[in-house]
Amino acid sequence: MQDIYIAAERDKPEVDFRFSQHRLALRGESFPENALAFYGPLVSSLMGYLGATRNQDITVDIALRYFNSSSTKILLNIFRMLDQASSNDNVVHLNWYHDPDDDTVMEFGNDIAQDFITLRYTAIAEPLAA
Amino acid sequence: MNIEVFKAFRQFATDQGLLFHYHGTLSQPIIAAMGEALRARLEIEDASAKATRKVFSTFVEMLQNIVHYASGDPADAARTEPFGNVTVGRLGERYYIVSGNAVAEAHVARLRGKLDAIRAMSEEEIKAEYRRKLRTDERDENSKGAGLGFLTLARDASEPIEYCFEPMPGALAGMSFFYLKATI
Repeated sequence: MQDIYIAAERDKPEVDFRFSQHRLALRGESFPENALAFYGPLVSSLMGYLGATRNQDITVDIALRYFNSSSTKILLNIFRMLDQASSNDNVVHLNWYHDPDDDTVMEFGNDIAQDFITLRYTAIAEPLAA
Repeated sequence: MNIEVFKAFRQFATDQGLLFHYHGTLSQPIIAAMGEALRARLEIEDASAKATRKVFSTFVEMLQNIVHYASGDPADAARTEPFGNVTVGRLGERYYIVSGNAVAEAHVARLRGKLDAIRAMSEEEIKAEYRRKLRTDERDENSKGAGLGFLTLARDASEPIEYCFEPMPGALAGMSFFYLKATI
């Protein structure tokens, strides 16, 4: 599985999927015009990676300062896929970064932790870079 | 615009606490650039980080909604790309974001239904409906986004969102002008 790196743009996050190291990250802002078009290929690669990965510790860092409603829906689907990866004896560590006073992003993270109980969830409150 | 008219416009902007106003064609690059300008403007204003996030989120959701649904410039039929207006301001401690765009009459009943339902919800009901909708795959076939746009506005707002439709006259019969307001 080829690693994926996409630099951030004003409305798109940095994508750093190091499948070779079992380390995946999204950082920045996410409000592309067409969230499905942006995330579709990434979701496909992720699905391929998870399908072929067994008995691994996988670390996922999500540090998104802002994500719009259509990105939110896709992120939820990504977390669902990660949750299901536990059936292949993988352990997924989700590090959820949010600005200390950002209740919306913090609460969304809490919901994820509750919905997807196999994720080893850690909330990290620290100022996110612009 | 002559200077006298501009004076009146300027006075009006001052009285209404205007922070940002745009009237024109909308596209994703324009939204992204304006969003950055808006954040910078709010920073000068010493807006709290929380208010800035909510105003920014509301601004992006409203304008992306226009790009998804709007018809072209109501004043110029030759321009078919999405066209809209947006104003952000601050009156007292509250921020407001108002947008306007032309929509086909065929969308009006559906939009009214959605907006009225959300307007009738309490804060807790809005949160619950947002959570529910996020987790179901039910999709409005007319909805090009996630169908969460209005709920996202309502979630961030401190008062019920307001709206109004005005049928457009003459050559634009069959279109309505859609006004939408959120208060943070």
